[in-house]
Amino acid sequence: MERIFRVVVERCIACGKCELACAFAHGEQGVPGRSRIVIDRRGPNVGIPIVCLQCDDAACVAVCPVAALCRNELTGAIEVLAERCIRCKMCVAACPFGNMLWDSAYHRVAKCDLCGGEPRCVPFCPTHALEYVPADRAGATPEKVIADSTL
Amino acid sequence: MRIDSRAAFDAAVQAAKEKVTGRKRQVFVCCGTGCLANGSAAVAEAFAQQIAEKGLDVSLGLFLKRTGCHGFCQRGPLVVVQPEGVLYTRVRPLDVTEILDQTVANGHCVERLVYRDPSTKAPVPKYADIPFYANQTRVAMRNIGKVDPADIEDSLANGAYAGLVRALNDLSPDEVIAEVERAGLRGRGGAGFPTARKWRATAMAKGERKFVICNGDEGDPGAFKDRSILEGDPHSVIEGMVIGAYAVGAHEGFVYVRDEYPLAVVHLGVAIAQAREWGLLGKNILGTGFDFDIKVSRGGGAFVCGESSALMRSLEGKVGEPRAKYVHASERGLYDCPTVLNNVETWSDVSAILARGGDWFARWGTEKSKGTKAFSLVGKVKNTGLIELPMGMTLRRIIFDIGGGILKDRPFKAVQTGGPSGGCLPESCLDLPVDYEQLTAAGSMMGSGGMIVMDDRTCMVDVARYFLRFLVEESCGKCVPCREGLRQMLAIYDRILEGRGRPDDIGRIERLARGMKLGSLCELGKSAPNPVLSTLRYFRDEYVAHIERGECPAGMCRALTRYEIITEKCTGCHLCTRACPTGAIVGKPKQKHAIDQGKCISCGACYDVCRDDAIRFGGRGRPEVAAAAQ
Amino acid sequence: MRSGSVVEAALRWQQRLSEGGFWAMVTVTVDGRSVKVREQAYVLEACRLAGADVPTLCHHEAVEPYGACRLCMVEVTRPEWGGHTRMVASCLYPVEDGLIVHTATEKVLDVRRVVIDLLLARCPNTPLVRQMARKLGVEETSYEKAAEPTDCILCGLCTRVCDAIGPAAISAVNRGIGREIAPPFKEPPPACIGCLACAEICPTGHIKYQTSDTSRTIWGKTFEMLRCSRCGRAYVTREQAAFFERTRGIPASYMGLCDSCKRKVLADTAAQLCVTR
Repeated sequence: MERIFRVVVERCIACGKCELACAFAHGEQGVPGRSRIVIDRRGPNVGIPIVCLQCDDAACVAVCPVAALCRNELTGAIEVLAERCIRCKMCVAACPFGNMLWDSAYHRVAKCDLCGGEPRCVPFCPTHALEYVPADRAGATPEKVIADSTL
Repeated sequence: MRIDSRAAFDAAVQAAKEKVTGRKRQVFVCCGTGCLANGSAAVAEAFAQQIAEKGLDVSLGLFLKRTGCHGFCQRGPLVVVQPEGVLYTRVRPLDVTEILDQTVANGHCVERLVYRDPSTKAPVPKYADIPFYANQTRVAMRNIGKVDPADIEDSLANGAYAGLVRALNDLSPDEVIAEVERAGLRGRGGAGFPTARKWRATAMAKGERKFVICNGDEGDPGAFKDRSILEGDPHSVIEGMVIGAYAVGAHEGFVYVRDEYPLAVVHLGVAIAQAREWGLLGKNILGTGFDFDIKVSRGGGAFVCGESSALMRSLEGKVGEPRAKYVHASERGLYDCPTVLNNVETWSDVSAILARGGDWFARWGTEKSKGTKAFSLVGKVKNTGLIELPMGMTLRRIIFDIGGGILKDRPFKAVQTGGPSGGCLPESCLDLPVDYEQLTAAGSMMGSGGMIVMDDRTCMVDVARYFLRFLVEESCGKCVPCREGLRQMLAIYDRILEGRGRPDDIGRIERLARGMKLGSLCELGKSAPNPVLSTLRYFRDEYVAHIERGECPAGMCRALTRYEIITEKCTGCHLCTRACPTGAIVGKPKQKHAIDQGKCISCGACYDVCRDDAIRFGGRGRPEVAAAAQ
Repeated sequence: MRSGSVVEAALRWQQRLSEGGFWAMVTVTVDGRSVKVREQAYVLEACRLAGADVPTLCHHEAVEPYGACRLCMVEVTRPEWGGHTRMVASCLYPVEDGLIVHTATEKVLDVRRVVIDLLLARCPNTPLVRQMARKLGVEETSYEKAAEPTDCILCGLCTRVCDAIGPAAISAVNRGIGREIAPPFKEPPPACIGCLACAEICPTGHIKYQTSDTSRTIWGKTFEMLRCSRCGRAYVTREQAAFFERTRGIPASYMGLCDSCKRKVLADTAAQLCVTR
């Protein structure tokens, strides 16, 4: 794993640009998919971005009956293999954090896959609350607790 | 009793032979399923009772033996008296006294019970003289009718397990396979796959656990050779399986018997138990250290479970559905382990081959089809039953010399071979030597050896439909070409046989047949079009008549056939009137008769009894044509 | 496009695993094009990699191939076969190095047309079947239409998926033309957990169900919906929760919250951590 996705919660101003970027990055022909990053809005300009933690020992991978979830070794993200998914939604039930979403517009499960290595939300965040940084730079800051995949 | 060495085996055989040859006078009563159905159990009982009452076992040294099927089932119950070698047919319990007094006590023949040549009516008392038997070469069926299947010593006295002793003591597994290869043995269940090649592949396959299986499903309608072998000489099969297991390195075996053969299951059970007792099955067989045991498994009543991969699924307790055989059973078969599956007759041949040698077996047969084959000859033939012949005998010899010709001396029309996977062959094919390649090239196949003989009073389109009806019920239903194809094919045939055929029906049938042959998952679907294609090949004119003229040339399709009395020829003998089930014939004796078309159901009974050729049949004509003509 | 994404997925898999030296690769020729494909693959994967359009109905990446529809049949040969070819179901035929595959010969197209023609007779009103038939050049069926048309093409996907998930509540029953998908004895299936995966995977929409905030009914069985303890939204069935506990070790208390409320809990945790810093 070369890079880690990091959320610096204090910098979030709940503008929602990341949600828009994600929705359109995972949509087709102008129909947005469901955003895989969700801002939990706590007040004006105060928000907590919630996104898949790409857990080391992921519950979603463990429960999938057809091995449709697997880790992309290059990006570190756990991805849904769309052709294998049978929409049983066991992963939706299993994720402890609710980060496996059901995208009803496209009738599929949706989770953050780090856009295959170039997360679309990162450049859109005006306050750099979202970072995709080299692993060694991630450091052991409190922010890392959120981004840490062993939560 | 447990045999733990070659010397012990030889001694046991010697003792068994002495016991058997010590029986000076014997009566064999056939207790195969066919004769049992005809009442032979009561005949055997009557013999037993009278022998006991009259003390004939002591005074005459008379021994009563219940044997398996002699094959001439049409003439049963069959009784053979030894040492005279006389065969009595259609024996009733009331005949027993006469047989005992006349033949057993005094060596005289009871004329009314002997076989008569169907053409000359001359009596043929001796078993060995009857053409039905004289022309046979019995290898797989060598002991059936001679031995009591519930008495292992009887089998031992007749050569059972000699092949096994030789295999385990004198030959390596590879040498056993080489012997089978020298024999040129090919699977007798239908496909005719070279047995040695199958064994070699399994022997070389990697796997701790290997299996041998005996396919006793025998689903072809009218086929009963495997039943006869399992009922009448189960040891020949058990021995064959032990030999096969030794050759490929298996220690577990199964006999899969169709549910509809309860007697075979019983006799197998008895034979297996006795074989174990005598050290011929189970642990340390014959003291050689080789372990192998057999379990009997019953089918659930499905033709498709005769297909080897479906059989294995069924054995495993799953639904009997075939799988694509891109990976052979010799690598991954039962429980995904290397498995040899062979037919009952094949196993019986194996034991004979190991006893007498591969070259001995290969003396018979043609270049590519060596040895002998069991056939069930049935249908419109005078002598029907089970026969075993060298490969290469012509259909003409089989049907006319052994079969005695067509019933009532009607003209021969066709012979259907190979069951639902086979085809119909016409008169032009009568001189075909019967072997795997020849039958396939002619558009039929050997199958398990069924031969249904048909005369001119057979509608070939209806014959094809008969097999479609059978297969539509028996298809497992998994793949589209077979399940839907058979359904649609049958629908087309139903229409044609009701006179509602369409001009493009033959093309439609041919296209569908091609799709089924190419696309089906297993051989059931792939060979299902064979009866259709062979009748189209040889009897196309009958299809054309049905479709274009709404007419059945054989006069059998009732909806399409109209019977008429030819007034000039009618002698007023009144036979037809008596035969008619609906009272549709009008006329007094000695006067000209006529058929009331309003009551006639076109059953043809009148045609069959008329001796003056005074009845003819023809098409009813298409209703719309008839209407237009008016 | 479906085939494009399948190719992408296959390429991703292959790249990932072959770079790791995980799988050996073999070379197969499909319609004249040479493709490298992993050793354990079936011919269908090779065909898709080569861009050949091989139709399927009973195939799905999630479950083992079934070989029932026969639409994926192709003609294969090897140089040493001297011109002899075999018609095989590409979803089940294992690849071999040097195999030559033809996906659109006359024989192949004949079989495809007969198969879809037969299916059209069985399911004359099913949009997916009609669509596929039109694509294969069959406008109307040449055969007798079913007296009682159905949408079920007997692809077996529903049963295979139910087996994969675990309950194995439905199965193909009866033989031949009587074959149908049903629960045991055609009664409400005891093992069904109401996950609706069967209905989701059914390619023709044949499997029907009703679902609401309070209850769900499928295969004649009615389930009680568990509601999220925070927001009250219907989430999973009681049987699903019990199944997860029994087979995946997910405690029943887990199912007390829907995914949306679980995210809120995560956000609460994050907020607390920030405050305490």
